[in-house]
Amino acid sequence: MKILNKAKIVREKMKELFVVEKPENQQEGKKDIKKIARDFWYGKPHEERRLGDLYVGDTGLYKHREWRGFVDTMYYFNMIWLYNYAHMVTDIMKYGGGPVKGVVNFSKGLMRYRWMGQTYLTVMHWFDRGLEGMRGPILRGSAWHYRGMVSETIRQFQEMFASDKKLHGGKESEQWKHNIAHNETVSGSIFYGFHDVLEDIPLEMITYFVTCHVNNHTVLNYIDAAQSIGLPADPCPMCQAEYGLFVLDDYPDFAPTMITSNEACDGSVATSVIQDWFLNRPLFAMPQPMRYDDPLVQEHCQREIEECWKFIEKQYGVPFNWEMYCKYAEEQNKLTAFEHEKWDVAANTPYYPINGVAQALYRIYYSQDGNRPIWHEIDAHVRKIMNKTVKNKIVTLPKTRHRVIAWSCAPLYYSSWCTWAYNCWGLNCVINMDSLMFDQFLRTDTYEHALEDLSWYNEKAPMRAMAVGGHEHILSLWDYMERFKCDMVVMYDQLQCKGMQGIHGVFEDEFRKRDIHAIWVPHALPDKRTVSRKEIRKIISDYMITVMREEPLDPTLLDFEDDSSW
Amino acid sequence: MKKFILKIFGILAVIYAALFAVFYYDLDGKFIYYIFEPFMVKRFDNMKREDNLKTPYDMKEDVMKEE
Ligand code: SF4
Repeated sequence: MKILNKAKIVREKMKELFVVEKPENQQEGKKDIKKIARDFWYGKPHEERRLGDLYVGDTGLYKHREWRGFVDTMYYFNMIWLYNYAHMVTDIMKYGGGPVKGVVNFSKGLMRYRWMGQTYLTVMHWFDRGLEGMRGPILRGSAWHYRGMVSETIRQFQEMFASDKKLHGGKESEQWKHNIAHNETVSGSIFYGFHDVLEDIPLEMITYFVTCHVNNHTVLNYIDAAQSIGLPADPCPMCQAEYGLFVLDDYPDFAPTMITSNEACDGSVATSVIQDWFLNRPLFAMPQPMRYDDPLVQEHCQREIEECWKFIEKQYGVPFNWEMYCKYAEEQNKLTAFEHEKWDVAANTPYYPINGVAQALYRIYYSQDGNRPIWHEIDAHVRKIMNKTVKNKIVTLPKTRHRVIAWSCAPLYYSSWCTWAYNCWGLNCVINMDSLMFDQFLRTDTYEHALEDLSWYNEKAPMRAMAVGGHEHILSLWDYMERFKCDMVVMYDQLQCKGMQGIHGVFEDEFRKRDIHAIWVPHALPDKRTVSRKEIRKIISDYMITVMREEPLDPTLLDFEDDSSW
Repeated sequence: MKKFILKIFGILAVIYAALFAVFYYDLDGKFIYYIFEPFMVKRFDNMKREDNLKTPYDMKEDVMKEE
């Protein structure tokens, strides 16, 4: 009897994990061999995909991964899944200083830090969520963007682990002595003049920011830790998570100094204070003006950058190298030039081979991180795909019903909402606010020009560029809507962002006045507990049904659970 | 020799098919979700941590000491 019961439980579990229930109207009837063959080769038409049936409960796991047609499934298997798993291993070895050292340091980091051990092994599901339903060139172009981010993430954490005092018995290695730690919101471009001698590594980019996208469970520990020592719960949860890392002693100790910033907003000032306390080492705070258009603040901002360079020179005994600065600034300009080409294709054609989530994350990642070889490698791949797509006039998201611009600060735990919105409603998120920041070439003809542009570059950093940099910037939405030919806005409503809350009413009025369809999407940046992903989907779907009076393209995506998913 | 090469191809084909099964049935995701992640969560929940609140808050020494 017991054995029978066990067998039944196992059968049920297997069914839950692997068997996709057929919809009632397809259960009976004759098999159409031609259609089966067509679906096998080309994949099912969009309206017949039933992607929501593939999920295992609320886990976000798949009973089986999507069959995208033979060619695209094989591409996904070979060039995305296998390729990325294999390259993760080679990256771990490459950036870890050799196969053995790399694997040993990686294993130590994996077992020591929650943001590593609990988070990053789930990375292929991050690809899956962002690339669901994608076919042809947009699958390829977007996947290359993900590959770039994965490789750079591995480079950063391997650099941290190799020099981390906590992983090496408190030893201050030579590598440790040559590292500069900085806030994730201090851009990598600040350090170009020291690039070949000193290594700059943002402290919270990998330990906090990227984790929220890959596995949104981890960050909640840091937010709760911040509040556990009596710090208030109402500042931006981004800043809470950043200092929560310190409360939980979950930061790697990889550098003798720290450079902080008040970017994006005042919440970051609190982070700096707590970092100054807990890190207990020389720290340079490099404030950037909030209202950065004011000509009076430009000189001040440039002096702050120069002071930062002086701090590095003093602490490390390494002089600022002008030629080195120029070399890397010019390299970075190539990335910016290609970004402009991409925007051009996204704005003026339906042939853009990068989906909303890949566009948003890749852009914010590389422009914040600064020039690195991997970005050039990825851009070369994407250029090839984009040229082909434009030349052959391949419409990359053929079910587009609306061209959407996403505005304001985005929900980090649901950056892939736009993939869902396309699959379910045909909403094509062409561009988003964070992609448009850092829009600044860096001149290198004279030192004065270089400094001027560099300070502009940093003033145009994420969120500062638009969200909290003055109302004239956040209201540039209308110009960008026109430029990218968008007919709808997804307006993020970060509930703990004081800057954006302050201008909420102005937007309401303007949307009404200009007769623009705008969907307000509330969220709490990295914290999925305030507004869940399911609630976000419901808000969008309700608008599409009641206001737009449209039918979903894939009804199985209307209502499903994913609370426990990564 | 031919047999040997065929055998190698055979083995590679089996490995390739097995990997495809792992991919298609999301066995990597299921392993991480049901086995690996809970194990790591337990480990991190029980980890002894430094109490950083005890860190003194005072002036810091420069990294490069003046001669
Ligand atoms: S979301 Fe708002 S509150 Fe948070 S860092 Fe950005 S601008 Fe500041």
